[in-house]
Amino acid sequence: MKALLLLLFALKIYAVDATLKIEKDVEQRSRIAIIDGSSTTNENFFKILLSDFKISGHFLADNTYQKGNLNDTFLPPALKNKEYILKYDLTQSNGASLTIRFLKASDGSEIFKKSYAIPTKNKVPFLAHKAVTDLNNVLKYPDISWMNRYVVFARYTTPKHSEILLADYTFHYQKVIIQGGLNLFPKWADAAQKSFYYSAYSGLVPTLYKINIYTGAKQKIATSEGMLVCSDVSKNGKKLLLTMAPHGQADIYEFNLHSGAKTQITRFNGIDVNGKYVDDESRIVFVSNRLGYANIFKKAIHAAAISQVVYHGRNNNACDAYANQIVYASRESKNSFGANTFNIYLTSSRGANTRPLTTTGSNQFPRFSLDGSVVLFIKHKGSSSSVGYINLASSQSLQFPISGRKIQSIDW
Amino acid sequence: MIQKFLLPVMTLLAMFFFSACGQKASNLDAPKGRNNVSDATQIAGETVAINENTYGNENNKSANQNVSSNESNSDTLNGSNVNSSSDGFKSLYFGFGGYGIAPSMENRMTLNAQVASKTSKKIKIEGNCDEFGTDEYNYALGLKRAKAVKDNMIAQGVSATKMVIVSYGESSPVCSSPTDGCYARNRRVDLHLVK
Repeated sequence: MKALLLLLFALKIYAVDATLKIEKDVEQRSRIAIIDGSSTTNENFFKILLSDFKISGHFLADNTYQKGNLNDTFLPPALKNKEYILKYDLTQSNGASLTIRFLKASDGSEIFKKSYAIPTKNKVPFLAHKAVTDLNNVLKYPDISWMNRYVVFARYTTPKHSEILLADYTFHYQKVIIQGGLNLFPKWADAAQKSFYYSAYSGLVPTLYKINIYTGAKQKIATSEGMLVCSDVSKNGKKLLLTMAPHGQADIYEFNLHSGAKTQITRFNGIDVNGKYVDDESRIVFVSNRLGYANIFKKAIHAAAISQVVYHGRNNNACDAYANQIVYASRESKNSFGANTFNIYLTSSRGANTRPLTTTGSNQFPRFSLDGSVVLFIKHKGSSSSVGYINLASSQSLQFPISGRKIQSIDW
Repeated sequence: MIQKFLLPVMTLLAMFFFSACGQKASNLDAPKGRNNVSDATQIAGETVAINENTYGNENNKSANQNVSSNESNSDTLNGSNVNSSSDGFKSLYFGFGGYGIAPSMENRMTLNAQVASKTSKKIKIEGNCDEFGTDEYNYALGLKRAKAVKDNMIAQGVSATKMVIVSYGESSPVCSSPTDGCYARNRRVDLHLVK
């Protein structure tokens, strides 16, 4: 029996991405049950609601799928040990509509009721996210509106061809927004997600465009021989960090959108890429091979000194930053080819409090949410790929399978 | 006997503790948005879908051209017919993570300089990588390879203004098998005349 328990414990540890964190998080989350009051059974929608509650870090949702009546005042006695009940009615005809009732489990009293409608059925996942964020707000829990945002990503289709897609964070909703040609490195241009930048290879040299996702209006921003990537956008949206090579050498530049002026930030006869603003945009962190392998460095925008941020790993080739926090991908196995272990680490711009966020598989493309509370990453394990999320405050993690084609770049 | 009673007592205490510490809403008198239509503009607006196939993108004839399936590294690639360049140019192959031109590639560089000297057209030098590496770093690595070839051509007398370099990162593989030989064929620089 002991051996069986030990085996189960070991399997559990190695099956999930989780750091060892001893805390009383179970009792800190609200226990909630979900009842589907729709006339047509839709367990997918139920699962999306479950995911939303879990990754929020604020709810402990019952995994049991239950049918019921939206307006019925009777609550099953088995649910009395919950704090809250969410009842919903999802109707999908000529668009989709959702009505939710949020009840106190102890007496069935209604706390909140709301209806939502969208013109297209395929955006139903956003209804779930919106409903859960509304309930979260009703209870005055810390903001989780990041889950309402679009994820934008590029993926390869055939050699020298790619497509750029929009998705909800679970990837249940996906829509190709630019297809044909080779269009790469999408990066949201504003917090409202009305436009994004991307690099197009339709001309002789790469060109950076900004496109409005609602009107399709496209604006040419810059061109560069060699390569051109928008790595980061300042908070006010007026400055960009570009990796470009006007003289055949990839370096990081700050681009002023108003004046069109470029300021060269790094000067190195090797590889400097992936610039991200940190420390109130007074500095950047970036990836460089100036020590002979890819690693994370920091530099003030208007000073020459450069300092190393990360002191471990064989190849730290991608990073993202929020305020003074940094996440980066680090190769931890020796294989030049084939399967390698890449893990995502969290550290600060001073290199302090470094800790791993993943433990298995090949984990790449770390990206902070807009509020810095959650980290997105792409995991490859065996022959399968998934998009993963880690809530930094609660250490809750979630993964959603993604199919087929190789993701080139992602932003949210 | 004591143990017999201890377990249920502890269980009851634990249940009390957990329920007492549960997170409560600080204010449950939130506005009851009865039958509101969603105020989430991001789920109401419909986005565009653009097909750029009509925008005159790169011709893709370099992909999958004349590629042998038996080559395994840059040394053997040099002496073979493996090539994904066009217009008389020969592709250059690189070691894992590297961007220096290997001695085994010098004959190909000499040939490429000769071809370049005979044309008045612009030459496009395309840097490519294998699938290992992600994001921007791989594109910068492809760029370093293209720059190394351009600099070598300049050293052999080809005018710098005649050449343009572009990195395609890992986006343009000529081989997709999970073998070392296949990866080696993708770590390359291709040359083409700009039409």
